[in-house]
Amino acid sequence: MRKYTTALTAGLIMAAACKDNPVVPPVDSPTTNAVSGQLTAAGVKTLALGVLANDRNLVSELSYSKLPEIYARDMYRIDPNEPRYVTETLGGSADPGGFSGSGGWTNGYVTIRAANTLLAALPNTPETQLSVTQRQVVAGLVQTFKALDYYRLLELRDTLGVAQQPDNDPNTVGPIVCKAKALDYIAALLDSANTTLAGAGTASLPFTPPTGFTKFGRDYSKAANLVLFNRGLKGKVDVYRGLQHQSPTAGAFTQAIAELSTALGTATPGGVPASQFKTGLYHTFVAGGTENAPNPLSDSRIGVNPKAQAALQAGDARASKIIPLAKAISGSGISTSVTYVGSDAGNAANLTNPIAILRDEELVLLRAQAYFEAGQPLNGLADLNSVRTTYGLSALTLADVPTLAAQRDALLYEKRYSLFFEGPQRLVDLRAYGLLKAGITTPELSSDPFNTAIPIPKTEADARGGRDKLTPTCS
Amino acid sequence: MKIRTVILGALAVLTASAAQAQQRRITGRVTGEGGASEPLSGASVTVVGTTIGSYTGPDGRFSVTVPSTGTVTLRARRIGYTQKSVTVPAGQNEIDIALVRDVLQLEAQVVTGTATAVSSQNAANAVSVVSGEQLTRVAAPTIDNALQGKVAGAIVSQNSGAPGGGTQIQLRGVSTILGNYSPLYVVDGVIVNNNSINNGLNVISGAARGNYSSSQDQSVNRIADLNPNDIESIQILKGPSASSIYGSKGTNGVIIITTKQGRAGQTNVDFTQRLGRSTLAKKLGTRCFTSGSEYSDWAANVLGDTAVAKRAANAATYNAAAVKCHDYEDEFYSNDQLAYESIASVRGGNQSGTTYFISGLAKQDNGLAPNDYYKKQSLRVNVGQTIGSRLHLNANSELLHSITQRGVSGNDNNGISPGNIFASTPSFMELRRNSDGTFPVNPSPLLPGSNPFQNADIIKTPESVFRLLGSATGTFNAYSAERQTVDLTLTGGIDSYADNAKIVSPAYGYTEAAAQGALAGTLFNSDANFVNANLNGSVVHRLVMPVFTAQTSAGFRQERRQYTITQITGRGVIFPTVTSVSQAAQTFPNQNQDLVKDFAYYAQEEFFTLQDRLLLTAGVNAERSSNNGDQRKFYTYPKFSASYRVPMLPSFVNELKTRLAYGMAGNQPTGGRNTFLTTLLYEGVTGARSSTIKGAENIRPEKATELEGGFDLTVLNSRVRFSATMYRKQIDDLLLQAAVAPSTGFTSQYINGGQIVNRGTELELDATPIDRKEFTWVSNTTFSQERGKVTSLPAGVNPFIPASGSFGTSFGNAWIQPGQSTTVIQSYQGCNIALPASGVCPTAQRTIALVGDANPDYTMGFNNSFTFGRARLTGLLEWRKGGDVVNLTNNYFDGYNLAADTLTSQIRYKTWRTGQPVYVENAGFVKLREITLGYDLPASLTQNLLRGALQSARLELSGRNLKTWTKYSGYDPEVSNFSNQPLGRMQDVTPYPPSRQFLFSIITSF
Repeated sequence: MRKYTTALTAGLIMAAACKDNPVVPPVDSPTTNAVSGQLTAAGVKTLALGVLANDRNLVSELSYSKLPEIYARDMYRIDPNEPRYVTETLGGSADPGGFSGSGGWTNGYVTIRAANTLLAALPNTPETQLSVTQRQVVAGLVQTFKALDYYRLLELRDTLGVAQQPDNDPNTVGPIVCKAKALDYIAALLDSANTTLAGAGTASLPFTPPTGFTKFGRDYSKAANLVLFNRGLKGKVDVYRGLQHQSPTAGAFTQAIAELSTALGTATPGGVPASQFKTGLYHTFVAGGTENAPNPLSDSRIGVNPKAQAALQAGDARASKIIPLAKAISGSGISTSVTYVGSDAGNAANLTNPIAILRDEELVLLRAQAYFEAGQPLNGLADLNSVRTTYGLSALTLADVPTLAAQRDALLYEKRYSLFFEGPQRLVDLRAYGLLKAGITTPELSSDPFNTAIPIPKTEADARGGRDKLTPTCS
Repeated sequence: MKIRTVILGALAVLTASAAQAQQRRITGRVTGEGGASEPLSGASVTVVGTTIGSYTGPDGRFSVTVPSTGTVTLRARRIGYTQKSVTVPAGQNEIDIALVRDVLQLEAQVVTGTATAVSSQNAANAVSVVSGEQLTRVAAPTIDNALQGKVAGAIVSQNSGAPGGGTQIQLRGVSTILGNYSPLYVVDGVIVNNNSINNGLNVISGAARGNYSSSQDQSVNRIADLNPNDIESIQILKGPSASSIYGSKGTNGVIIITTKQGRAGQTNVDFTQRLGRSTLAKKLGTRCFTSGSEYSDWAANVLGDTAVAKRAANAATYNAAAVKCHDYEDEFYSNDQLAYESIASVRGGNQSGTTYFISGLAKQDNGLAPNDYYKKQSLRVNVGQTIGSRLHLNANSELLHSITQRGVSGNDNNGISPGNIFASTPSFMELRRNSDGTFPVNPSPLLPGSNPFQNADIIKTPESVFRLLGSATGTFNAYSAERQTVDLTLTGGIDSYADNAKIVSPAYGYTEAAAQGALAGTLFNSDANFVNANLNGSVVHRLVMPVFTAQTSAGFRQERRQYTITQITGRGVIFPTVTSVSQAAQTFPNQNQDLVKDFAYYAQEEFFTLQDRLLLTAGVNAERSSNNGDQRKFYTYPKFSASYRVPMLPSFVNELKTRLAYGMAGNQPTGGRNTFLTTLLYEGVTGARSSTIKGAENIRPEKATELEGGFDLTVLNSRVRFSATMYRKQIDDLLLQAAVAPSTGFTSQYINGGQIVNRGTELELDATPIDRKEFTWVSNTTFSQERGKVTSLPAGVNPFIPASGSFGTSFGNAWIQPGQSTTVIQSYQGCNIALPASGVCPTAQRTIALVGDANPDYTMGFNNSFTFGRARLTGLLEWRKGGDVVNLTNNYFDGYNLAADTLTSQIRYKTWRTGQPVYVENAGFVKLREITLGYDLPASLTQNLLRGALQSARLELSGRNLKTWTKYSGYDPEVSNFSNQPLGRMQDVTPYPPSRQFLFSIITSF
């Protein structure tokens, strides 16, 4: 009897204790479980903003905002605490393990992972949260940004190739694909996004996007306008596919012209008014506080290569983008006494200057480029002059630029100063036209290696088993 | 406490057994060596071969009823005395038993489970037992301080000399890289919390920059709160072979604390009053300038004041100074306020089974810097009640409050740490308070304004803790027969505390104004609430047969622990008297919370046979935890051990026990189950994306397996005991972060993998070389040596620097690499190219090498006690041989050429810049940790005082950390800028200097 009581008591105590539920959800920070399964409208907004915010992080990195412009010989950055801004760009090669070689990679793939996560979750969002068309708008936006980030990575890596992240598998490492294949992939992504956006008709984003979407001439919260952004980006990609001799040359450029015309809203060469040049989709910046995302170009150590100022044509109003420095800066063998107007650290407003993701002035010049490459110089000149004359320069005639080479030179001049310090566009062009070489470009330093691309970071090589595993595949 | 109650329950005063025909009552008395004049109460008297027994009363008398009229053997046992067995022949019913004092403390009860214990005579593990008396022989501020030098296999290191604690205990080496590194602390059956809470020093020191607390806040681990005077004994389970009973919390060892309980009999009142004072134990000194031109030369070199006019001005500044060479450390670390400690306790019990122990403590220690202190008050009430013959209840509770102010020390980037200021201020500059009460602005051009005297005066950093520990235990003797008992034990307990840390740094402080600029005026407030709740239950079945005794136990253990830490920093508080963060121009909040639920089952069999010579144990513990990837899965931890007391020994050998133990324990993952979302703001709106650190859904505890063997030898009439232990501990499934290809969108992921192997030897020699009535000498010597090695790292994990392990390879960093010691130090050692004219080897050209090891080669403790008549002299010396520390403080002085010994300093600095590890120094030391001289007042005197109420009184003069012999050039070879962490401890960055303490105590007993 006693033994029974004992056993019973013991058993009861143990059973009672057992009932405590061992599952403890994380209470401190949200986990990915919070956004897997069925999303709410708020969840979709949060994840979409995550994609945009991380793209902004990539744009703010020195590897994206500064190094390409230094490689393109428009920017100098002279920092006594960090001579590698010169020694690893204009004076030597970049180090894949540190400073100038290891950036501009991870952030791109984090954004792409964020985009893939949201794209995978969107189909599961119940219709009570988002309508079908709203879902399509978000999907189209996110897919376009995913393509945009692949493009940004390619801008930095060029022929080194980029990795193609498997869409839905965070555990598999994707192959490194060659530039041609990457451009094809990006083009396909953009076209698929375009189809999705077209299906959304007149719907808008189900949340208020950042002001960079609405404050600059066009309301990109509408699907119809996101289509324009998508087509503009596709046009840009097609121009470079053409220069790569992907598709038959003329075909790529003709396609580009059509896409860019859609984006610009007019098929008339030269028909885009100057008032539309600043229209576009922008990233905005916030100085200080918890967000602390200032414009990366606001930096007292940035300067403009004196050769860039010297190459300006007389009367070009874009000369106002280059202002004198209070005190000349020099170091590591280079020096300058001028800087970019947006780099003046004494002007607090520079901290919050927006940076264009894609604006119409660039699209006009890209269309001019496509026209020239497609063998339609008169149309190209029409677009080119619409930009040139806005800045006080005289219009060019065919007699002024009779050859494709001359046309390219004229175009590169306009692109250089219209899009001065606005991204890696110039580096991409110089590379595409084979101009970044000894004998064609003046060396900045005696040891100038004419770097054209930033290496793939050492962490990627290590994870794959060595730098030899980074050879891009093209099939 | 628990063990005794189990035995008490098991030994019913009257047995209710299957009746034997004839009952026989044997009575007698248990005394000490003094015979009739020294009765021993509370001694247990058991009938060998049965479960029958009883306890002696206040007069030392006992009474047992045995069923046999033939010869019986009685065994008498009492803490502090050697057990003794006597035979009672047939026909005799009265016997006196005289016990001999256990000077070497060879007898103790060793914990083997939640509710089981065995005599240390049989114990199969090398368990260290430290009695309360040994612990508090010299007043120590905290429990972990008090254990220094007393436990073989334990390295107990202080983090700095700041008041209030901050010590790390490492048992048998480093057992983890990213996981939990603290031993588990159990007080009266309740697992208590030993977290360190970052108290926000970073917001004014800028050590890690930013607006939040950091790991460089010089924080204190909270076991420091407990009152060491309440402790009856501490047992240390050093490795998984013993700590397997604590499952996935046992890898780092378990420290089991038992508090004092009441005793039936005469009520004892004890009162102790201590007064003490601390002084600075070591000075580093600063450079003395002997002439104006020497100073202007220095300024020309260091500040660039080469112009003639500047030189003249500088020389004039020197010449105008009132004091040409200040001893800043003397001026600053001179807090000579008296420290005090008052301890009172009442202990007693009545005949109806009630026992009580009540104690109180009030103490104040003063730090060396002005306005630094550590005040603690505690009240403990332990009550026990026996109900009937079967049930015993115990309730223990401790309420304590402490408030500490430790000032600023350690690493900083704001020019606020006193060491940093002294290394940047030419020593003729006056920093002390002016006659009008204001403080001079520090004229040093290297640190504009910062005045440590002003900082110590106006910056407040109080950390206040309210803590409640409570536990209740019930032991029920469910069944009792002549040969069998079954006992049920249930313990429930809580450890909860609220830790509030504040920092007030007014805007008008020179350092604050210079460091924070427009946002000068900083407030910080941290509120941390921790609760640990435990519920343990067990069933113990004891079977005593002629050939064997078997103790079977089984039970469960449930733990729930949770915390919330809410911190907020306010910057830009312009009104100096305001301490509310709501007045700040900018605020930075942060909150952390966690909840963990653990549940374990265990079962154990202890089998004694061959006349109690052979003990075989097998046990298993199955535990699940919400920290694991699979929160429902039980992980099992088995243990097996055997010990054999060798028979047929030569006459001079009293005991020889050989032992072998094997056990497995675990270390719960501290994170890694989840992939978190990182929130990003875009125009103030929250966006989120997955973190770049991928969690592992199947993250599991680290697994530690230990094989330990040894022997204990007692010879020469139990006057010498020698004990040797060797162990090999292997830790698998380490919690690590593996790098992954960033093109996946992740940079790393949590995995389990890799292995660490620790091997070591522990030797102990206890002896009473001289044992006479007028003079005794008791000696304890320990030796321990441990080597740990990272034997493998899994794929995807390359050799790396563990977190907080480095200020840069040029100084020396911790390094994890397969095939190397876990505590190896890596630095530069040599230049690949010929040195350029500047004498500086470019970083890219320096050779990286493994240059040292933070682990000592071996450690020894020497504990000696001499008693002559009524006087006693006791000393504890600790010797740590080898072990390296990275002395970054020297670099502060070297960089500005303001070290006291300029020649050595500049040679060192030049050598450093060629790429040599000059700051990695040997930190071996010999420390005189404790020394006490005590005198018992003669009975003739005490009896006349206070009309006979006073039973005994003792006067003591003692010292703590009086002398350190070391080659280390810094303040103290025991140092850690990052407070408690498993690796990378060995960093000395302008820490709080160590102190030596003198105490005078009056210890009275009524």
